[in-house]
Amino acid sequence: MIFTEECKDAILRGNIDQARDLAHKVLDEKLDVNNAIDGFSLAIREAGDLFEEGEFFLPELMRSAEAMKAAMTIFEPVLKERKEDRSLGKIVIGTIEGDIHDIGKTLVAAMLSAEGFEVHDLGADVPISTFIDKALEVDANLICISALLTTTMVGQKKLIDSLKEKNLRDRFKVLIGGAPVSKQWVKEIGADGSAENAVSAVKLAKKLIES
Amino acid sequence: MGDKKPILDLLQEQIVILDGAMGSLLMDQGLPAGTPPEIWNGSNSDKIKKIHKMYFKAGSNVVLTNTFGGSGLKLAAYKHGNNIEEYNHKAVSIALEACPENGYVAGDIGPSGAFLPPVGDITIIDFESNYLEQMQVLADAGVDLFFIETMVDLREAEAAVKAAKSVSQLPVFVSMTYKKTKRGFFTIMGNSVEQCVDSLQKLGVDAIGANCTIGSDDMIDLTQELNQLTELPIIAKPNAGLPQLINGETVYPTKSKDFAKDISKIVENNARIVGGCCGTNPAFIEKIAQMVKG
Repeated sequence: MIFTEECKDAILRGNIDQARDLAHKVLDEKLDVNNAIDGFSLAIREAGDLFEEGEFFLPELMRSAEAMKAAMTIFEPVLKERKEDRSLGKIVIGTIEGDIHDIGKTLVAAMLSAEGFEVHDLGADVPISTFIDKALEVDANLICISALLTTTMVGQKKLIDSLKEKNLRDRFKVLIGGAPVSKQWVKEIGADGSAENAVSAVKLAKKLIES
Repeated sequence: MGDKKPILDLLQEQIVILDGAMGSLLMDQGLPAGTPPEIWNGSNSDKIKKIHKMYFKAGSNVVLTNTFGGSGLKLAAYKHGNNIEEYNHKAVSIALEACPENGYVAGDIGPSGAFLPPVGDITIIDFESNYLEQMQVLADAGVDLFFIETMVDLREAEAAVKAAKSVSQLPVFVSMTYKKTKRGFFTIMGNSVEQCVDSLQKLGVDAIGANCTIGSDDMIDLTQELNQLTELPIIAKPNAGLPQLINGETVYPTKSKDFAKDISKIVENNARIVGGCCGTNPAFIEKIAQMVKG
């Protein structure tokens, strides 16, 4: 099997050990790190496509994302040393206060991280002030705020209102997520977007940060 | 309550009607967002009793106790993990008080909110002890059956069924939650309808079906699939469509009349136990009851 095929195989199988071994092999044998990362990235995108097609489900996608993360963690110090910043941007993510549903958020965080964002996951039941404090602390590009319940979705509006009050609205892009979130709600509260699932969320995050 | 026939006998004779949503009705009455509804079993029992009564009056044969999130794992996530016995016991008392002589009270069991690896870090043993604790209280308090619902992981549903079987001989109904994908209906963990039916049948459940996430229209197709896979009584408890938030208000688009029409097709697909999930209310159950009596 050629090397990029091996990378792809490790990610699609969600084989963390294999992904780690391959990453070490790149460093030990002084192979092209960027080339390897591109191979892994293609694979994680394919995992995302399989998820959208209904071939992959939560466990498969989580495993793929974790394998990807395992490989990236090994490359990180090398990239840092070479001052090659491959980070796509910094993201603060969490589920809103009063809502303990964090599975969708966790998946989005895993996929964002696998794709190369620096992700700060605050967990579930997170107060609005914590989102803002963390975003300021790490100098985030993007805040992702999840709510599964229609009753806690108002928290998404509160976050945006609070950013406006503090004159910080232009400093961060805000993506909102959760089953009941609609395009209309995005517009109503003045968020920067929402996505149908974790795969589209990554695409949208990339687009927003580039713009 | 004395002489009423066992629920499984009733099921042989007629379509059994469940209730509709509970949480959203409680919120209409002031339950704050982010508060576990089970808390009200202690502090606002009259409001819960009233909802049970409304459902019985509308035509429900069975109501579900207000214990969907009453397991230890779920309550602990809301930092209310010390009140499992109180909330669950009280919930059954309230439902029994609202229950007419020929009515039934099902101990409602929802998912723990925790996930097995690689999604989360729970174990199957944790699942089982989580449900054992809750189900023992429900059984002791006098429920007529267990209604395990909204399960998205077959392994969690299996753990709940095993727990139910070990605390009592009560009938066990299990309802999974599926998503419609390009390849058909699957749980978010990737369990197919066939896998769920096979496994749950082997564990000796008394009825099997689906609730939540999908609307009454898609539920028609899903019950058709279930009908081809099992001889057991089929449960169908769909949502009133997909929720939309319009001007800050949650709106479920399917009207009670259309919902009942879909339910009649669901009954043609051999569903024997029908009711409503998110977005439904006593008016929906009334329409279903009229349709069933027909």
